[in-house]
Amino acid sequence: MAPPTPEWVKQLTPSGPQGHELLAAERASSDIPVDQLSTLLHTKEVLDRKQQILTILKSEPVFDKTQNYFAGRTERFETALARAKKLANLKVKHNWNLDEYRTAHDLISEPGPYGLHDSMFVITLGEQGTPEQQERFLTKAQKYEIIGCYAQTELGHGSNVRGLETTATWSPEDKTFIIHSPHLTASKWWIGSLGRTANHAVVMAQLIINGKSFGPHPFVVQIRDLKTHEPLENVHVGDIGPKFGYNTMDNGFLLFNKVKIPHVNMLARFSRVDPETNKFVRQGSPSLIYGTLTWVRSTIVMQAGSVLARGVTIATRYCAVRRQFQDRDAPASEKSENPVLNYTMVQIRLLPLLAATFALHFTGKAMMELYQENQKRMNAGNGNRDSSKRGAGPEETQSGSDILADLHASSCGLKALSSTIAAEGLEVCRRACGGHGYSSFSGIGPWYSDYLPTTTWEGDNYMLTQQVARYLLKSARSVINKEPPTNDTTTILTEFLSRSEVGCAFDIIGSDADLVSAFAWRTSFLTFEALKHRDQNKKPWNDLLVDFYRLSKAHSQYTVVKNFYNALQSPAVTSQIPASTLDVLRKLFRLFALNTLEQEGSEFYASGACSKHQISLARTNTVMKLLKEIRPHALRLVDSWAFDDWVLDSSLGRYDGKVYEDLFYRASVTNPLNGITVDPYPSSDVLFKKVEGIAARSKL
Amino acid sequence: MPDFTDHLKPRYDGTATLQAERDASTINVRDLANHLLSRDGFLQAQDRVLKVLSNEKLFKKDQQLNLSRPERYHLGLARAKAIRRIGRTQGWGDKEYAMAEYLNDEMSPYFLHMSMFVTTVREQGSEEQQAYWMPQILNYDIIGCYAQTELGHGSNVRGLETTAKWDPVKKEFEIHSPYLTASKWWNGSMGRTATHAIVVAQLLLPKKGSKTDDDEYQSHGPQPFIVQIRDTKTHQPLDGIVVGDIGPKYGYASMDNGYMLFDHHRVAKSAMLSRYAEVSDETGALNRRGHPAVVYGSLTFVRGQIIMHARLILARAVTIAVRYCSIRRQFKDRDSTSPADEELKVLDYPTVQIRILPLLATTFALHYTGEMMYNLYHKTRQTIEKGDFGMLAELHSASSGLKSLCTMLAADGIETCRRAMGGHGFGGGSGLVGTNADYLSKPTVEGDNWMITQQVASYLIKKMTHAVANLDAPPKDPTDELFQFYLKNRAHRIPQTVAHDGEYDDQAIVDVFQWRAADLSYRAYHARVVEKKPWTKLMIQLHNLSRAYSEQILVTTFFNSFHETATSLSGPTPGVLKTCFRLYALFTLDAFASSFTLTNAVAPDSIYSLSDAILDLMTELRPHAVKLVDAWSIPDWLLDSALGRSDGKVYEELYDMAHRRNPLNRVTFNPDWRSDEIVLGSGDGGRHILAKL
Ligand SMILES: Cc1cc2nc3c(=O)[nH]c(=O)nc-3n(C[C@H](O)[C@H](O)[C@H](O)COP(=O)(O)OP(=O)(O)OC[C@H]3O[C@@H](n4cnc5c(N)ncnc54)[C@H](O)[C@@H]3O)c2cc1C
Ligand SMILES: Cc1cc2nc3c(=O)[nH]c(=O)nc-3n(C[C@H](O)[C@H](O)[C@H](O)COP(=O)(O)OP(=O)(O)OC[C@H]3O[C@@H](n4cnc5c(N)ncnc54)[C@H](O)[C@@H]3O)c2cc1C
Repeated sequence: MAPPTPEWVKQLTPSGPQGHELLAAERASSDIPVDQLSTLLHTKEVLDRKQQILTILKSEPVFDKTQNYFAGRTERFETALARAKKLANLKVKHNWNLDEYRTAHDLISEPGPYGLHDSMFVITLGEQGTPEQQERFLTKAQKYEIIGCYAQTELGHGSNVRGLETTATWSPEDKTFIIHSPHLTASKWWIGSLGRTANHAVVMAQLIINGKSFGPHPFVVQIRDLKTHEPLENVHVGDIGPKFGYNTMDNGFLLFNKVKIPHVNMLARFSRVDPETNKFVRQGSPSLIYGTLTWVRSTIVMQAGSVLARGVTIATRYCAVRRQFQDRDAPASEKSENPVLNYTMVQIRLLPLLAATFALHFTGKAMMELYQENQKRMNAGNGNRDSSKRGAGPEETQSGSDILADLHASSCGLKALSSTIAAEGLEVCRRACGGHGYSSFSGIGPWYSDYLPTTTWEGDNYMLTQQVARYLLKSARSVINKEPPTNDTTTILTEFLSRSEVGCAFDIIGSDADLVSAFAWRTSFLTFEALKHRDQNKKPWNDLLVDFYRLSKAHSQYTVVKNFYNALQSPAVTSQIPASTLDVLRKLFRLFALNTLEQEGSEFYASGACSKHQISLARTNTVMKLLKEIRPHALRLVDSWAFDDWVLDSSLGRYDGKVYEDLFYRASVTNPLNGITVDPYPSSDVLFKKVEGIAARSKL
Repeated sequence: MPDFTDHLKPRYDGTATLQAERDASTINVRDLANHLLSRDGFLQAQDRVLKVLSNEKLFKKDQQLNLSRPERYHLGLARAKAIRRIGRTQGWGDKEYAMAEYLNDEMSPYFLHMSMFVTTVREQGSEEQQAYWMPQILNYDIIGCYAQTELGHGSNVRGLETTAKWDPVKKEFEIHSPYLTASKWWNGSMGRTATHAIVVAQLLLPKKGSKTDDDEYQSHGPQPFIVQIRDTKTHQPLDGIVVGDIGPKYGYASMDNGYMLFDHHRVAKSAMLSRYAEVSDETGALNRRGHPAVVYGSLTFVRGQIIMHARLILARAVTIAVRYCSIRRQFKDRDSTSPADEELKVLDYPTVQIRILPLLATTFALHYTGEMMYNLYHKTRQTIEKGDFGMLAELHSASSGLKSLCTMLAADGIETCRRAMGGHGFGGGSGLVGTNADYLSKPTVEGDNWMITQQVASYLIKKMTHAVANLDAPPKDPTDELFQFYLKNRAHRIPQTVAHDGEYDDQAIVDVFQWRAADLSYRAYHARVVEKKPWTKLMIQLHNLSRAYSEQILVTTFFNSFHETATSLSGPTPGVLKTCFRLYALFTLDAFASSFTLTNAVAPDSIYSLSDAILDLMTELRPHAVKLVDAWSIPDWLLDSALGRSDGKVYEELYDMAHRRNPLNRVTFNPDWRSDEIVLGSGDGGRHILAKL
């Protein structure tokens, strides 16, 4: 460790008003009841659960975070494995259910080596395995007697699953499948938990029977010995190396050299090979899987709100403590400096993001509720999903007749929009903190780099927008064919078509409902424009991708604005918080909507949803006024997200505002580099003259 | 160890793919490379130094991302030393050393010694001080750093809290940190390496006529002092000084950014760098002399360098993205009917193009502006030496806006490229992990990108105020000219259309960028000077103004290069560069469309057709993309990227890195949660890891 701190340094305090005083003053400037708002966001049950689990985690030394930012890759992984094991033990010890176990993961906030076992491996076995297979694999997996991962992506293919190169060839003689990697690009790649941890994998491979390919299907394959943990013969597996983030996870590669697996290892709930006739048999509908995808994406939307809220919490608290310059217009006698949060230049970066945290939260929540409702309705009969007519995804079904289709398309677009907002927002927060934002102790940078893959997995954010566009085009065709509207999308398209001759006159500044309608109008306009390009002008699909991207973005922005608006109208929300707080939330709504509208101004203008003058007014007056009105509440609003300091692991974002003390403590006390004395001169090839503490090991 | 994977090949041959791309364009790469990179013999120096460094094992990059923070610093210091020693044997000059830093591509623990430390002594030291210090500095007998920023203050230099109090009896200064927030912070090379520091501290002098009572001191603002901080033998901090490394950062792993506190630390009078100001021995008064404008001159030069660097960084990211995306195939064309069709290269998808190709165009936009700044700097230098600071104001304020815009374009551009590459972009094989993390410091250092835009805005408001009052005065610079033109025409402005049915009006493109900048300047002038609005309230508007003004410079300068490129380059190259100009301009116009329409620069109805124009331009540019990035001549060794390799062996390299060069694969773990053992067979119940926490 570092040398001891001299007494005169221990005596020093930050100059001027202290961090905790500044934050106390901030909190005093607003009357938002933080606990009430927290409960509204998270529910009492969840808040209590977090508190309980947090107490347990904090008492375990293995979860200590102090050295996280210093260690090398191998050490980080080792620690992560130790943590994963400890969690699995705690789960048993405290008899945690799945929600509690997940909460513990969230609180630790780093990807762990059991991550894919706990999620995709178990889910896939459950969803795609027959009862017999579940008995055989799932039970063991749930007890961690086997540890698995989900191996779909390959070196050469990720988005295009149909293009996977790994093959599973049916061998009628001995009733087995031969799993094989014919090219280097067939190597499985990126597979979480595979690199060093898993001994089993669900492998997606092209099923080949008698020389004919039947597309990708899931196979359970054992890859490592259960005792020695060495790869089995003709299996080649390892970790893919260091990454932008996610370094506590062993994302892996995997190659097969004609490995035989028994017939029972093809997950056969929806399709199988008949061992007698050697024929491919499809049974049942995999549309349930699309349901799961929709669910997973809705979770991403809701998570995006809290992922971003972490960055916003840190940046807002820090910018309230950080003071820099006197106000330029202040009298010369005024000595004290301004908190940088008072500068509109900082506000315009942080406050719309603060608004976005709530917008995304309410949107995700609404989506999940709608999904569950619909699920219930479908289970209650009337769930006649004719599988034979179903194509690749639910958006291929007759649109306009199916809420699930609408939900599925919305979830694609929203996953893309919300994870982009969150990822980019985190970086904006980091930069808004100036120099100290660049320190790992800000807590934003590492969090951001672990979050970034969310923009790529579960559907690449650009790719997904094509699905949304395809769905919107279908919907628009049905509306043009005068089919009656059956869901929100067809409703707004019908409304637009009926008024497109006369046009609209939305009061975007005076009326919140009109503001929502303006977003609906722009989306509808872009939908029919795109339809014209595709159907009338017969433009190639490829040439329209940028238009589609914009269209999907417009539709998702509309969905967020609408859901945020609806949430603030619903009694479930309005009855839980005082009118003054509701008023602040409505301001956040307006800020989010108008700031978005201003940024996409030319589309709103082109669609006729509003005039140039309105946009200009929104920019120069309304948004500025909203920033000023929201400013005093900023601290309490982020407090309501209720992040524990232990979770944030940030000097800048501490609840008590002791920013400088904590930065200094971490730098001078926990930093192993300060145990090293160097020889600085180029003329000498001695590097480290003296190494004390834990910094000794060198791997050069 | 040989295994069955040794003989596997990728499904598509990357080398042949890139060759086909190169064959499809007739751009002469060598000519274009010389056109872009011949200043100061850049290309030749690159070849020379590359040959030396790439043969030294110490400079192998492939384990960097696996190392811990202390190991990264260790390696950084070893390399820094080696570069100096190699340089001595090779007889390198400044140019070669700079090239070695560029190619080594990580922050050297000597970086501040070679930059801010030596520059400050050279610029602010008296002749006597220079004579004393410069030989020691140049010989690396001492190692220096630059300690300005503190824990509590960075942007606001006047607010620094470290004090240097003059003791009129002993004729020395006492340097002291009265608060925790006075701790120096972020200062590069200071944490473990430096023996000396330039310490910027508030100069406290006794008030006139007073004795030495504490209250009787008055601050004369921040001044630079050269202070020894560590013992030259033991390398331990001197008494009364606490100094150390501030810990891990987003990037800059090899650099020891430091903190430092002083406890009434005494230094001789000669410590204060006194070219422009000196404390009088007799009276204890501060005598100022000369004009520190030269300092602004060098700041401007530094910003010019930042822009030239930004273009190379962006070019690096674009090189990787263009090459990888022309090898990466995913899906068949949706409208394809033949089963024989191959999967499309993802660079042929417009949603991939629109992220990468405008950035490719941006590299050239940055280039011509960087060149212009270099030239202007040299011109201005001469007039300064003649005692005329005229052009400096223009250049200085323009440079802060450009620094802000260009570093932001590059920082965001790296990330855009990285994300455009899907999953592999996230991997260490992208070659962008370190680049991204290190470069992200740039929007903050050398003037926070949001903060410094206020300088441009305030300059433009001044210019506009002057133009309004003196409509017919002879213009002193292009900005005067523009503002006068604007004021005379604003009453009858006709918004322009810049692209129509595949025709582009380049002159009109320049015009609309200039008009928008002028109009926003006028609005800012009106809000501040006429309506007297509070500064803080205007900040966002001012920030947008700075951006618009800087974009105008990029566009105008790019346009002005046509003449030269048309004569010095042949074949399709001048035309392709023109396409880059249009793409950069129209892409920007589209992204900020409402700013262009609200200022009456362009006709609102013409905006809608821009997306088609942009698609057309991208289609024009697409066949040349690989050759254009080739022209930036970034060596594979520097790219250090599996995805960006010039020979297209993307997958082979990714696999090799994962399989053969990954230390994690040398460890077999015990994954069973019931066992405390982490490394299989070690019998260690996690104690080894716990000991480190
Ligand atoms: C940290 C991390 C963890 C992961 N974990 C797992 C795991 O556990 N299991 C697993 O199976 N996978 C995993 N993945 C892989 C992940 O699912 C894929 O990376 C993702 O699906 C994207 O595919 P890709 O990488 O092939 O991107 P590509 O498809 O190659 O995308 C490259 C670019 O091309 C564009 N593009 C591609 N096709 C089109 C098209 N038709 N039209 C327009 N543009 C197009 C994309 O937008 C993108 O910009 C993980 C990835 C990461 C980064
Ligand atoms: C990697 C790295 C290396 C560095 N190396 C050195 C070094 O060698 N020597 C050295 O002395 N320093 C160094 N620094 C410090 C660097 O110069 C400062 O971090 C930088 O000047 C920004 O200042 P700050 O951190 O105080 O940001 P702050 O000023 O605190 O900025 C915080 C936020 O407030 C905003 N803000 C501040 N003032 C205003 C205003 N008046 N109006 C509107 N908005 C405002 C900013 O835009 C920002 O969003 C380094 C920093 C980094 C990150």
